[in-house]
Amino acid sequence: MEDSLGFINDLLAASIRLAAPLMLAGAGGLFTERVGIFNIGIEGTMLAGAMAAIWGSLVTGNILMATLIAMLIGVLFSVLHAYLTITRRADQIVAGAAINLFALGATNLLNTPLYASFKYRPRVDLYPILAPESLQEIPILGPILFAQPVIVWVAFVLPFILAWVLYRTTWGLNVRAVGDHPQAVATAGISVIRLKYTGVIISGLSAGLGGAALAMADLGLFAPNMTAGRGFAVLAAFVVGKWNPIYVAAACIMFGAADAFQLRAQTLGFAIPYQVFVMLPYLLTIAALAGLVGRTVAPKTIGKLYDPETI
Amino acid sequence: MKERKNVFLPIIGELVLTGGRPILAVVLALTVGAFLIIAYGKNPVEAYAAMLEGAVGSRAAIANTGVRTAPLLLGGLAVAFGFKAGLLNVGVEGQIYAGGAAAAAIGITPLPVPSWLHVTLAVIAGFIGGVLWGVIPTLLKAYRGISEIVITLMLNYVGIHFASLLIHEPSPLAKIDAFYPQSPNILPSARLPVLIKGTSLHAGLIIGLILAVIIHLALRYTPFGFRTRMTGQNPEAARYAGINVKKQIIIVLLLSAGLGGLVGTGEVLGLKWALYDFFAVGLGYDGIAVALMANSNPLAVILTAFFFGALRAGAGKMQVAVGIETPISQVVQALAVLFVIAIGFGERVRRTRLERGQEPEQEAVAHGG
Repeated sequence: MEDSLGFINDLLAASIRLAAPLMLAGAGGLFTERVGIFNIGIEGTMLAGAMAAIWGSLVTGNILMATLIAMLIGVLFSVLHAYLTITRRADQIVAGAAINLFALGATNLLNTPLYASFKYRPRVDLYPILAPESLQEIPILGPILFAQPVIVWVAFVLPFILAWVLYRTTWGLNVRAVGDHPQAVATAGISVIRLKYTGVIISGLSAGLGGAALAMADLGLFAPNMTAGRGFAVLAAFVVGKWNPIYVAAACIMFGAADAFQLRAQTLGFAIPYQVFVMLPYLLTIAALAGLVGRTVAPKTIGKLYDPETI
Repeated sequence: MKERKNVFLPIIGELVLTGGRPILAVVLALTVGAFLIIAYGKNPVEAYAAMLEGAVGSRAAIANTGVRTAPLLLGGLAVAFGFKAGLLNVGVEGQIYAGGAAAAAIGITPLPVPSWLHVTLAVIAGFIGGVLWGVIPTLLKAYRGISEIVITLMLNYVGIHFASLLIHEPSPLAKIDAFYPQSPNILPSARLPVLIKGTSLHAGLIIGLILAVIIHLALRYTPFGFRTRMTGQNPEAARYAGINVKKQIIIVLLLSAGLGGLVGTGEVLGLKWALYDFFAVGLGYDGIAVALMANSNPLAVILTAFFFGALRAGAGKMQVAVGIETPISQVVQALAVLFVIAIGFGERVRRTRLERGQEPEQEAVAHGG
């Protein structure tokens, strides 16, 4: 009994820890799809954010500064994506794929210079765990909430803030409208282009933050291609979470849990092969899109070119 | 005389026309790359000379370039062919594993047939594996109108881990007591023939070259090709013209997925000689870049795949000779793609503006509103 409770606590803690980078990247990331822009570059942006965070921490020694630097890099990547897809009207998937290729190449190239002045790869400071020990030992709630670094708290709070912005502010209304009916938004005298840029940039901020969490929540170092598809998992979470920040966060936790199960299946030797756990969330995403489970409808103009002249 | 003109000039002319932008983009990317090399405190001329030597300077170098070109060529064709029908196959990454697994399944099975037949069957199996991986997105696209983009993307991770499942015990494809998870080795009779003795250059490159020519001719000179291009350019008009757009989408997307399967097939039967975990990371996404640089022209795909392959092959030599690390080739590739996007689409916008006879200033006002 003691043992199984320990296992559950451990599993919950791991699920949330693995989900946090996805939750952070996903919360703001869905804004890019809400304004009608596919951004598969989130994967590369997270990777660049992770490296920027480690670099920032090595240089400034301040975890807050490191986080801000990661977010700044995220913004730079998203501005590039926005410029290519909105201003230059490039295909969104192609632009995203190019950004991923660039981020992978650049981080691989900079991986050696990053640690050049160190004999051994140092681990940078991790996000601190703030809750007192006594709270951390509460079953279920302890491992989920209190035994987690502060960035996990941000991951829990951010979706609620962004959901409020999306559903309770005028600007949020515009964002929701622009993905479905850009012409109507333009007719109302609101700049579609500016809304689209802002949506993409929010996804960059968020992806940079997610990258920082990936690097500094429990590792403290950068490894080549350390995102390993997490940015694509976030894209799947948009679908399962119906482009709602809170549901998307829940979908990200599902991905985190699948990852946690998978790791345990590998070490403990479950009867079910560990790969099944990894595949499940993606299969669920496909089922959701196919209308087999629930009903999920993407923003209508997603992936399409916005041409102001067709008004 | 006249007939020759009709057949050959359009091909060359088209390559020249579509070649301008990518060549400019490559020049720009190499220039930025040169500045990066200077930032490293190295001589860019020496570095690029070493890269060139590593790419085409010797028999071994050419073989190395060919080995790297083969999967890029097949992957680029998969994406380019789909794109001609207005379909974006982002799922080559997963199709690689489906095709690789199917090819491996035939390749490790002793068959009472001659070697040429065994390897042919294994290649066909790989193609079919890719096609099967394309069935779900194809059906959803054709019958439910669901975008193939997200579905193919999601299937990538399913494919990668499904292949992984197949090479772990107790799967029949798993090698028993292997040090590292893998399938048993491909039987010699099912391996793709080596083209240059003493190197690993395999016939996967030939398959890619032949398919590039076939796809080019099919798209250009057959009714099938006409229907495909019509579907891609304007599905509504195609429907009016009596083309069965749904059928066309089904055929093209399945064939595109099959080509994706051939990427994995070539790697497994020609290079790795077994199915491994994560044996081709990123190759599927590279296919998108290759197709874009080639403006989805199958013959131009040959050139861009060769360019990317040469960059990769040459990067190793550059690292040894001047000490610039190999990822510089990834950076240059990415820059080339980014420049193509930035140059190319701007041109298209300007052209439509000219056609409409609008002044750019007027449009700026319209944007502001």
